[in-house]
Amino acid sequence: MARLFGLETEYGIIREDTETSDPVIESMELVRCHHRPFRADWDYGGEDPKQDARGFRAKILQQEEEELEFEEKDRHRPFSFHEMKSDLMLGNGARFYNDHTHPEYSTPECATLVSLIAHDRAGERILLDCAKKRNQLLGAADAVQLYKNNTDFHGHSYGCHDNYLLPRHVPFGDLATHLIPFLVTRQIFAGAGKVGIEKGNDYRQEGYQLSQRADFMEVEMSIDTMHERPILNTRDEPHANREHYRRLHLIIGDANMSEFATALKVGTTALMLQLIERGLSPKSAALATPVESVQALSRDVSLRNPLRLSDGRSIAPIDHQRLYLDAAKSAFSGGDTETRWILENWETTLDVLGNDPMQLVDRLDWVAKKWLLETFIDAEGTDWQDSRLPGLDLEYHNIDPERGLFLGLELEGAIHRLVTDEAIALAMDTPPMDTRAGVRGMIVSKFLKDIHKIQWEKITFQGGIIKPVYSLDQLFEPQAVQKEMERIRKCQSVDELIGV
Amino acid sequence: MIGQFERREKPIDPVEKPRDTGGPEKPDTDTSRDKLLKRMRKVDPKQSERYRQRTGE
Repeated sequence: MARLFGLETEYGIIREDTETSDPVIESMELVRCHHRPFRADWDYGGEDPKQDARGFRAKILQQEEEELEFEEKDRHRPFSFHEMKSDLMLGNGARFYNDHTHPEYSTPECATLVSLIAHDRAGERILLDCAKKRNQLLGAADAVQLYKNNTDFHGHSYGCHDNYLLPRHVPFGDLATHLIPFLVTRQIFAGAGKVGIEKGNDYRQEGYQLSQRADFMEVEMSIDTMHERPILNTRDEPHANREHYRRLHLIIGDANMSEFATALKVGTTALMLQLIERGLSPKSAALATPVESVQALSRDVSLRNPLRLSDGRSIAPIDHQRLYLDAAKSAFSGGDTETRWILENWETTLDVLGNDPMQLVDRLDWVAKKWLLETFIDAEGTDWQDSRLPGLDLEYHNIDPERGLFLGLELEGAIHRLVTDEAIALAMDTPPMDTRAGVRGMIVSKFLKDIHKIQWEKITFQGGIIKPVYSLDQLFEPQAVQKEMERIRKCQSVDELIGV
Repeated sequence: MIGQFERREKPIDPVEKPRDTGGPEKPDTDTSRDKLLKRMRKVDPKQSERYRQRTGE
């Protein structure tokens, strides 16, 4: 089936103009600075985080205890749960809201990497615009700062989830068997880099590692996302017709600043899923101890320490990724242009990582950050124990172009770009026109005042006891999307849209 | 050459074959390095100590 993917990013948020700030309020205020007026119209009816892809419904999530604690703390607040979440469905098909006190931007569903990158970066700029507006209201230019990262260096992590649509007939057991080892070594090009190590609430400034999230991976598979985080999340919330589709919801990934790293992370994973769907994934790549391996590899920036396979053999991390690359090359080398781009860049990246990873400073986040930190260490005559380094790590992810270290590199032309600034600006207001997000965005733009509730796969309109519903739960074929968009362009009313 | 400090007027689209095939290279011009160092030196030394977030997903 055609590719369809999206990224959800929880941003870190702080106030610098005050010693104490309330993360719930800050996150809510930020979302409400978007030019689309807030209305509590998100439809949570389609969300069931306890439905497990392994075929059962979880009785309890590990995070519930903490959530209940937060709920107790938040009980005094003079607003409802829906008001606190502050959900917005934007005209570009994205969702923007307050998730667990983090402003979260979920890209619309995208069918190409170019589109995904443009929309992911559009999210950064939408949040930046909101921060500017909030700072104007506060009367302090730098009051609110936003970070596209995954840790606070005190043991609290927040996610960047990559999502993929799959046909339901792909057995979840196959996904588990083949994806878990792939995800363990994906970090060699997808890691965003981190100074030090976190365990529980303990932070130790020891060296440098590939990934922000590896320290927080505790089990191979689980439905949980906030405690005992898994390499493979088993949440079964397809946001589509459940009989025909499943959504793979990966929580292991870092939030990438680099367009290239995002494209390679999502592109290689999409090819892996196609391999699994066709039964072509390598059979002898399973790791003996995936959780230990994900952390050990993250702390091995030489990329040379061998990983133990479940059949007793050992393999170097780069060679492990080559198993998947070789399978993908055999299966897809005659594929479309984007497939060929993924294969070529996957191969080149592995080759260069094997020779001198620092040559990828313009493409991979963990390399670019390491280069910046080493440059600072050299210039200051200091070492990796310098207490300023975690702060520099954090500022790498600041989305303010005046301050962010990654964005500083990008401003200097030192970062390999995949999309233009014009394409990003366009994506801030325009949905991908080749997926159902285009249909949703068009309806939001055209009939906003008529919408009662909205979610990814369904829009409910105002009117009577039985309200009219528009379903997008099977709208995935590009031709059907185009046809529907043509029809909606001509619709003058909701009745016409619904076909009453 | 990929990754020099020259400004790219036309960023590369992933669906196009990269035009600069000479292999990646580290940023190394003095001016750019100085600008980046200036940016890094401005960072509050206590920045990460003050940075606290609630656990997310």
